[in-house]
Amino acid sequence: MEEHEHEALPPAVPPVSRRDFLFRLGLVLNTVAAAFVGIPVLGYIASSMFKGKAQQAWVALGNLDSFPTGQTRLASYRNPFTTPWDGATADVPCWVRRKPDGDFQVFAINCTHLGCPVRWFPQSGLFMCPCHGGVYYEDGSRASGPPPRGLYQYEFRVRGGHLEVRGGETPNLSEAV
Amino acid sequence: MNRLRALGKWFDDRLALGRLYDHTLGHRIPLSSASAWYVFGSATLLCLIIQLVTGICLALVYVPAPDQAYASIEYLDYVQPLGWYLRALHYWGSNFMVALVTIHLIQVFLFGAYKYPRELTWMVGSGLFLATLGMAFTGQTIRFDQDAYWGVEIIVSILGRLPLVGEYATHLLQGGPIVGSETLSRFFALHVFVIPGLLIGLLVVHIRLVLVLGISEYPEAGKPLDKETYAEDYEATVARSGIRLMPEGGGKDLVFSALILTAIILCAAFIGPKIPNGPADPSLIHTVPRPDFYFLSLFAAFALMPPYLEGFVIVYLMPLAVVLLFAVPFLSRGAERHPSRRPGAVVLVVLVGVSLVTLAYEGVLSPWSPEMDAWSGQPVQPQFVEGRSPLEHVGATLLQAKQCRNCHALDGKGGKRGPDLAGVAMRLTPDQLVRQVLQGGGNMPAYGKHLAPHEVSALVAFLETLHPANAAPARNSAQPSGGVAGQPDKP
Amino acid sequence: MNRRLLFRMFRVLMFAALVLGMASGCDSLPGRPDPADRYQRPDEVTDFTTLFATNCSGCHGAEGRRGPATPLGDPHYAALAQPAYLERIIGDGVGGTPMPPFAQARGGNLTEEQVSVLAQGIRAWGADVAGSTPTPPPLVAASPDQNPGSPARGEVAYAAFCADCHGPGGAGGEKAGSLVDPAYLGLVSDQALRTAVIVGREDLGMPGWQADQGRGISAGEISDVVAWLGSQRPSSAQGRPSGDGR
Repeated sequence: MEEHEHEALPPAVPPVSRRDFLFRLGLVLNTVAAAFVGIPVLGYIASSMFKGKAQQAWVALGNLDSFPTGQTRLASYRNPFTTPWDGATADVPCWVRRKPDGDFQVFAINCTHLGCPVRWFPQSGLFMCPCHGGVYYEDGSRASGPPPRGLYQYEFRVRGGHLEVRGGETPNLSEAV
Repeated sequence: MNRLRALGKWFDDRLALGRLYDHTLGHRIPLSSASAWYVFGSATLLCLIIQLVTGICLALVYVPAPDQAYASIEYLDYVQPLGWYLRALHYWGSNFMVALVTIHLIQVFLFGAYKYPRELTWMVGSGLFLATLGMAFTGQTIRFDQDAYWGVEIIVSILGRLPLVGEYATHLLQGGPIVGSETLSRFFALHVFVIPGLLIGLLVVHIRLVLVLGISEYPEAGKPLDKETYAEDYEATVARSGIRLMPEGGGKDLVFSALILTAIILCAAFIGPKIPNGPADPSLIHTVPRPDFYFLSLFAAFALMPPYLEGFVIVYLMPLAVVLLFAVPFLSRGAERHPSRRPGAVVLVVLVGVSLVTLAYEGVLSPWSPEMDAWSGQPVQPQFVEGRSPLEHVGATLLQAKQCRNCHALDGKGGKRGPDLAGVAMRLTPDQLVRQVLQGGGNMPAYGKHLAPHEVSALVAFLETLHPANAAPARNSAQPSGGVAGQPDKP
Repeated sequence: MNRRLLFRMFRVLMFAALVLGMASGCDSLPGRPDPADRYQRPDEVTDFTTLFATNCSGCHGAEGRRGPATPLGDPHYAALAQPAYLERIIGDGVGGTPMPPFAQARGGNLTEEQVSVLAQGIRAWGADVAGSTPTPPPLVAASPDQNPGSPARGEVAYAAFCADCHGPGGAGGEKAGSLVDPAYLGLVSDQALRTAVIVGREDLGMPGWQADQGRGISAGEISDVVAWLGSQRPSSAQGRPSGDGR
């Protein structure tokens, strides 16, 4: 309605009324404010995506004596990053095999097919999965069923009579420990 | 009475309820759409309302923290007055809601009601369908029992198969690298804030679309849909013979909803809630995780598909299925709406339906899973023990002790993963039995390293007795005399 | 008018009663979860019947009878087996035989308490015949190392007591199979042989020590028969069955 009054201005600068200006200013201010809220929200949510490797740590699995030579035993390690309300979920189980030569293998409990808990049967020397029937040999290699690979193995070391693993990550096909 | 009417008018003057009614419950619909087939949407809405009410009540007691979630569910079941009943209503309400939203989707598909101008209604409805499934999954997760814990591990493993983004996706879902407190809080937030918000938002759009576009007429064979004249025809039909949604058109909805409500109440009162199957403690490995029924078919599909297909299915097929669901109105462009003129649509529904039901049935049986306790808890039936020699008894004991029974049934009892061994002597000669046991093959692990020679002899001696009394065991055709290499003839 | 009002009040009252009834009566409906069905951790199960069914019945048969392995449910066995002996066998298994160790300390699934529950429960099966006469020979030989049986005498005792069914020389007969099959002897412990001679397999037709032979087989003869059978055990039996029950 007021365009005629602004004919004198150069065409590069569009005619701006006070209401237009306020509206645009308001948009800009709100966009900035939204960014100040939105970016932290995204960062807050996405932070969990990048927790992975930095949290991994050497954690104790148990005394060497608790793993008899030639046997495979269930052990669990405390998740290196826990909250006080984590409850039982912070104790991550794994299978520890002490080979006849005294060396170790530490297998994740999760089937490599879809993550269900495999169970060890010492008499037949097999790990069996209750979900889709994956079966593994005692050395963790795939025996039959749908799993695409052998059991995941944790890195381990022996320190002061204790077996330690590098824990803190549930293994799956995209991060096989 | 007059005073009541005056009060009503007072509110109506301010809230314009009459006008609201005219545009919503009182809006006119074609007479043909007041059909008994058009009741599933409203019944789904009823379920949603039940879920909201019972869900809010449950949230008053439930604690979304791993150390107490399970205890609070047990508290609801055994201590909180009527807690079990509300849990049961919520559980059965969810079952009915998933079933009804699926039936609603199938009915709309079969009736071609998604066609012009209701494409967006279908798409929003598809969003509601997925949101309902999302509610079902997150709901079974925050029950936080063993099924819940391992269900999350399964989803995490599925996400972990995504190329490049797998690691980030799993961490995002778990709230870190391990299933724990943040995972449960996340699923809780999804179940009570995010997805319900999404669901209600989508529902508002869905209903808005129904009100703006009207309810589709009952399909008529041989009456193709013409985009040019559709709007005019529809308005003319409604003006000519339309009835109000409420009260004239909605009676069947009310009756059907009441039936559904009764069914939910009866199921809740007489069958009760789903009892959680043990706390989500990963060290309790004596567990056999199974999803609730709506995901059994997916669970079964992952057991039955060839392993080389799994990556393809996860990365391409499952997202493609979702895209296809949303794109239905744009892929099916025919003008006919009646199912008798759309055989392809009917065949598709039957095929998908039969596949899902068959898969779910297989999921219940889970024949691919070893029966984890069969070796120690499933007796060798007396008919396989009586009249056997001492060596054969030891062999039968080995059949148990070496966990063969976990995968092999004896006369129907035991695992179903491998063949039933009753009668195996008629299929395999002793030599073949030895080779099969030692080397495995055909999905059977090799037992060579875990069976001493004596054990193989004993085991095979027992397996040799597994044939009907009136049928001879299998023989090596290269030795027609009947003698078997390395085995003395037996009477 | 008055009647209509009454009728309406009646309806309201009925409705209120229905609601109250539903709210209070609900807690006794069949859908209400029974605390007894509550999940129990596998290591907290202490019910003998459940424990036996899930852990033992596979080999020893439902209720300990008519299975391929030792008939734990035979009252004569149950009366003879001392709880400490049962606990040791259940917990540690019998090396070289199919009997696996069940104690958690040995890689099995059962706690010490559960092993003890099993031993007591099996023992209870023998309550009816415990202390009956004639007194059977001890299930576990007193000191087999000091008093090993004599294989030569055993062969004679075998011919007298066992050969009718198991055939001359133990090679198997019409009624029962071979006892000298190297694979069998390689997988059976001396104690299991002794148990079989004393308790028999009455559930499968094999008599116990008090067979209808006029007089029962004596404790010394039992040791001799076991010694004779043991002497035929092939030296190649990898890891000679060690379960001598001690």
